[in-house]
Amino acid sequence: MTALLELRNLKTHFKRDKIDIPAVDGVDLTINKGETVALVGESGSGKSITSLSIMRLIPSPPGKIVDGAILFNGNDLVNLTEDDMCKIRGNDISMIFQEPMTSLNPVLTVGEQIIEVLMYHQKLSRAASINKAVEMLEMVGFSRAKALINEYPHRLSGGMRQRVMIAIAMSCNPKLLIADEPTTALDVTIQAQILDLMKELSVKYDTSILIITHDLGVVSEVADKVVVMYCGQVVEEALVDDLFDEPLHPYTIGLMGSIPSLEGETDRLQSIEGTVPPPEHFPIGCRFAPRCPHAFDRCRAEAPKLVEVAGRRKVRCFLHSDKEATV
Amino acid sequence: MSATTIAKKGNHPSNTDSEYLLEVVDLKKHFPIKAGILQRNVGSVKAVDGVSFKVKRGETIGIVGESGCGKSTAGRTLIRLYEPTAGNILFKGRNISNMGESELRRSIRKDIQMIFQDPFASLNPRKTLKYILSEPMITHQMYKGKERGEKIDELLEKVGFNPMFVNRYPHEFSGGQRQRIGIARALAVNPDLIIADEPVSALDVSIQAQIINLMEDLQDDLGLTYVFISHDLSVVRHISDRVGVMYLGKMMEFAIKKDLYDEPLHPYTQALLSAVPVPKRKGVERRERIILKGDLPSPSNPPQGCVFHTRCPAATAICSEKVPEYKEVKKEHFVACHLY
Repeated sequence: MTALLELRNLKTHFKRDKIDIPAVDGVDLTINKGETVALVGESGSGKSITSLSIMRLIPSPPGKIVDGAILFNGNDLVNLTEDDMCKIRGNDISMIFQEPMTSLNPVLTVGEQIIEVLMYHQKLSRAASINKAVEMLEMVGFSRAKALINEYPHRLSGGMRQRVMIAIAMSCNPKLLIADEPTTALDVTIQAQILDLMKELSVKYDTSILIITHDLGVVSEVADKVVVMYCGQVVEEALVDDLFDEPLHPYTIGLMGSIPSLEGETDRLQSIEGTVPPPEHFPIGCRFAPRCPHAFDRCRAEAPKLVEVAGRRKVRCFLHSDKEATV
Repeated sequence: MSATTIAKKGNHPSNTDSEYLLEVVDLKKHFPIKAGILQRNVGSVKAVDGVSFKVKRGETIGIVGESGCGKSTAGRTLIRLYEPTAGNILFKGRNISNMGESELRRSIRKDIQMIFQDPFASLNPRKTLKYILSEPMITHQMYKGKERGEKIDELLEKVGFNPMFVNRYPHEFSGGQRQRIGIARALAVNPDLIIADEPVSALDVSIQAQIINLMEDLQDDLGLTYVFISHDLSVVRHISDRVGVMYLGKMMEFAIKKDLYDEPLHPYTQALLSAVPVPKRKGVERRERIILKGDLPSPSNPPQGCVFHTRCPAATAICSEKVPEYKEVKKEHFVACHLY
């Protein structure tokens, strides 16, 4: 398998009141061709900032990619000019957002918003773009696509808008689709439709997907590989089956214990005590140490590194790195 | 459970020995649609359209459904935050559906409290915790003088706060902490029944678990009864004793939790349960997924007959003609479907 996207030690910092806030603090991540990778974490973990960094959509100032590389097909996106980046956005890498209500332009028809992308990136004529737009809308499951291109977004429901977003995002046949909480605002029956559609499209067009979510159910449904983030760092990375069979990092274990099961009974949920610390107060040692039930002295003094375990997964925790070292 | 509950609640004389704290009979809430210069009624949104269920003392009733199904409206109507269009609400055996506002306030309001979804919008940003927690006591003229301060300390400790925080403002707290304040406020007047409308939906999962555990502990401690409204089927399964499923203003199915989740009868409940993405767990078979076609119809113009027939995989001719009756098909298992 060849890597399509590779993040190497990505650091995106924000400046607030002259203090440097490390929102993303040294993230390594690889997405292979055709692979679906899920980025999981709670609010404040830096998962959305990571995705916006890949798209180079970080508002600057106050944000800045201060270190690291974003290799897309071997080219470093960090050093591209804004003009070159525009050619990649929406064409090679496209993105769908959480809020389908606010990410479509309310004063343009649905058709216009798809045609715009096609004419800009694919240099198609207007007539050809219209045909392609209808085709895209049919592909995402609209039966009356011809009529739909003349309608405005407010006439559509949340699920329909998200399908229009997917049609726009897929219209240039991107190599990578970044989906930031694509189903969080939707009802479960609609969510099931959208997830099904994304899976189908990724197989059909061999598109890689980076899906950002806090919902472990969605993760186990669509992902091949899972990356768990906490406080701007990757704390665990594993194939989806490995992760759900045996989570290693205490944070991942805590997250899984926090969700009630739909099947069978659980007496009491294992919650994680405390809250995510704000970036200006990250602890010196392991960032999870203050909330971790297994923390010992070393965790509070020294920051653990992300180490490879069992040859195919990575974890940032002394419980596992020590064990590996002594073996 | 119910016997000990009543004993604990000795200071609230009950008018009846009924095991039910709350009975809702054919509750309806229609919102008028007005149009034109004269603002004439041109139709109505049938947000809640004939919902019946009973709540036992000390239990938790879960109400689930997708957005727009009327679950929040039902929650608000049954405590008279909205005026019901029709139907009866019996609380402790008394019909409160047409009780006057002053009597309602004098005799019922303090026994029913509410917890809201958004912990950022439901607390006044300009008031301290002390004021937020004493306001319900002022309204209901409870705990005067020194007692009030003691009660506030007790409430804060109950929800896991340091009583030193009484002079802080809501913005100094995180979402999960604010939701704890919302819970403490609801408890300030010793209610019997708490309506919790999506109380954990705005929270991260690790915090969500803390709040759910807290609500369960408080229920054990104080003998509270909950009506828990949520779109999250796993959370509802965890916390509830009995669960109702709503769709377009109607109760489609209502049963003991285990029956509803293990053997759902209504095609909508089956589809809803199958649609939830569940984390893989060892030795657990995934339900076969039923993908529903289309979207929720508009509640201002619901389909004729069974409201679900437009999306139902099992629909037959009768479903589009006749409204199915909501009936008990097994012991304590109610369903509104022509299949049964």
